[in-house]
Amino acid sequence: MKKSLIIAAAAAALLMSGCSQKKPEVDMTKQETTEKEAPAVTEADSGVSTVVGTEESGDITTLPENGRTEVIKELEAKAKKIYFDFDKYNIRPDQEPRVDEDAQLFSSDAAKDLTIKIEGNCDEWGTDEYNYALGLRRAKTVRDALAIKGIDESRMVMVSYGESNPVCTEHTKECWAKNRRVEFKLLP
Amino acid sequence: MRYLMILLTAIVLMASDATLEIVKSTDNRPSVAIQDASEFGDMGIRGKFFRLVTGDLKVTAHFKVDDTYRSCSYDSMIDPLLKNSDYIFRYRFREGDGQRLYMDVRAYDMGSKSAIYERSYRVANRSRYPFLIHQAVIDFNDYLQMPSVGWMKRYVVFSQYTKPKQADIVVADYTLTYRKKVVSGGLNIFPKWADRDQRGIYYTKLGSRPVLYHFNIYTGKERRVISSDGMLVCSDVSRDGKRLLLTMAPEGQPDIYMYNIESGVKERLTFYSGIDVSAQFTGSEKRIIFVSDRLGYPNIFIKEVRDRAVRQLVYHGKNNNACSAHGKYVVYTSRESDNAFSSNTFNLYLVSTESDYIRRLTASGVNQFPKFSPDGESVIYIKHYASQSALGVIRLNYNEGFLFPLRGHRIQSIDW
Repeated sequence: MKKSLIIAAAAAALLMSGCSQKKPEVDMTKQETTEKEAPAVTEADSGVSTVVGTEESGDITTLPENGRTEVIKELEAKAKKIYFDFDKYNIRPDQEPRVDEDAQLFSSDAAKDLTIKIEGNCDEWGTDEYNYALGLRRAKTVRDALAIKGIDESRMVMVSYGESNPVCTEHTKECWAKNRRVEFKLLP
Repeated sequence: MRYLMILLTAIVLMASDATLEIVKSTDNRPSVAIQDASEFGDMGIRGKFFRLVTGDLKVTAHFKVDDTYRSCSYDSMIDPLLKNSDYIFRYRFREGDGQRLYMDVRAYDMGSKSAIYERSYRVANRSRYPFLIHQAVIDFNDYLQMPSVGWMKRYVVFSQYTKPKQADIVVADYTLTYRKKVVSGGLNIFPKWADRDQRGIYYTKLGSRPVLYHFNIYTGKERRVISSDGMLVCSDVSRDGKRLLLTMAPEGQPDIYMYNIESGVKERLTFYSGIDVSAQFTGSEKRIIFVSDRLGYPNIFIKEVRDRAVRQLVYHGKNNNACSAHGKYVVYTSRESDNAFSSNTFNLYLVSTESDYIRRLTASGVNQFPKFSPDGESVIYIKHYASQSALGVIRLNYNEGFLFPLRGHRIQSIDW
C-alpha cells in the first residue's frame, strides 16, 4: 500500500510539472471564407482613377445654397443639448425642461417638415461597443420623450457616435460631462 | 488508494485551468545575450531594432533575455565575457537595393562555443523591419524546439480616431510598430478579421446610417454586407467564417443577431429592452457570451445560441463592459473605481466558463480592448498609465506580461 502511494504521488507530480505549458483547447481547422461577387458596376472613371495623385479639382460651380440652409442652421443652434449622468441613459429631472423646449422648437412652423437626426454621444471612458450602444440608448430615450410630446416618430432618426465626437477634449470631469450628450441635426 | 488517485487527478485537472495563476519559484529557462552587428542606421534606429529584438525574445517567455545592448562585428570571435549565457543571438541589419533591408542572424551555443545556425531575411521596404525581427525570433525559438510563437507573424487590425467623426482602419504587426492604413475617409470603426487567414476584414462605416462592409486587404475589393439604423457592429465571426455575430439596433434597441453570410438570413438572439452588445462565440460555438446592462450595470452573460435563457457569467465588479472569448476562456475589462471620476482604473480578468476561478491579469492603469491570440495562449490589450500608452501582451501560460510603447492617435477598437 505504502509503495503504491509513493508511485501514485510520483505520477501526479510528473503530470503536474507539465501543467503550466498546457494549452486551452483550440480547433485550428482552417476554412476559406466564401465571398460573393458584388453586382457589376460600370466605372465611368476607370481611366482617371488609375492616375496617381491625391488632390483632384474640376470646373464645377458649387450649387448655390438656398435660404433654407441658413434657417436650418439657426434652428440647430436654438436646439438644446440634453446631458446625461455617467453610464446612464435616463433623462435627468434638470434636463426635462430642455426636452420640452426642443419639442416646441421641432413642432414650430419653421421646423415641422424637417427630419430630426438625434445624435447620441459619450465620454471617453467606455470601451468598445458598449459605449456606442450607450450613445444610441441616450438618443432613443430622447426620441421616445419627444414622441410623447407630440413629435412624429417617422420624422426622427437616431445615430450613435460613441466617444468619436467630443465637444471637449480636456481630461477633466467638467469636460467629460459636456461630452455625455444628445444633440440634434435637422435635415430637409 | 482509489480516493487518493481521484484527489490527485482533481488537483491535476484544476491545475490545468489557465484561470489559476502559475507561480514559478525557479527560473530554468535558457539565457540569451544579444549582439548587434548592424551596418545600417544611426544609433537611434539601431536602438529601435534592438528594443524590438529584445521585446520579441522576451515575449516568447521561453528565455531569460539579457537586455544589455552590445555591439560587435558580425564575424568577430565569441566574447568570453558572455560565457554565462546559454545562447548568443547575433544579428546584422544591412541595406539592399532601393528600399530593401536585410537581417542576418547567427546564433551561438555557449555550451559548445560554436555557431549553431545562420539565417538571412529580407523585406522589400524598410518600414516592414518588424516582420524581419518577428520571423528571426520565431525561427530561433523553433530551432531550440520551444513551443511555437508563430502568432508573432500575424496582423492586428485596428481603428484609430483622426478627428471628430473620422477614423481610419489600420493593419499592423502585433506590436503595432509597423502600420498600414487600409481604409480611410469618414468614420470607419469596429474592424474584425473575417477569416482565419487574415485576408479580409469586416468593418462598419458610419455615415447617415451604419453599413457593414467586407474588405479584402490584399485586393482592396469592398463588398457591402448589411446595413441597419442606429448601430451595426460585427462582434465575432465563426471559425468557418460563415456566421457573424452582430450588434444591431433597428429601433434604437441594441440587440444581438446572428447573420448567415451564405443565406443572408439574420436571426435575433437577445430580447432585452436595455443594452446587449459584444457577442462572442464560446466553446464549440453553440453558446455566446455578451455584455448586457440587464442588472443595471454592464456585465458579462452567457447563453445557448438557440435558447432564450441567459445566465450571469461574472460575479465580480460593477462595470464589466468589454470581453473577448477563446474556447472556454473569457477575458474581460472591469472598472475598479466605484464612482464616475475618481482615479480611473480598468483591470483585466480571466475566467473560465467551466469553473468559478477569476484571475486578475493587470494591476494598475486603464487596461482596455482585451483580445485573445488565435491560439488562446496570449492576450493583447491597450494600457494607459501616467499619460503614456502601450500595447500589452500577456502570456497566460507563463504568467508574464510585456509592454510595447504606443504612439499615434487614439484607438477605437482592435482585433487580433
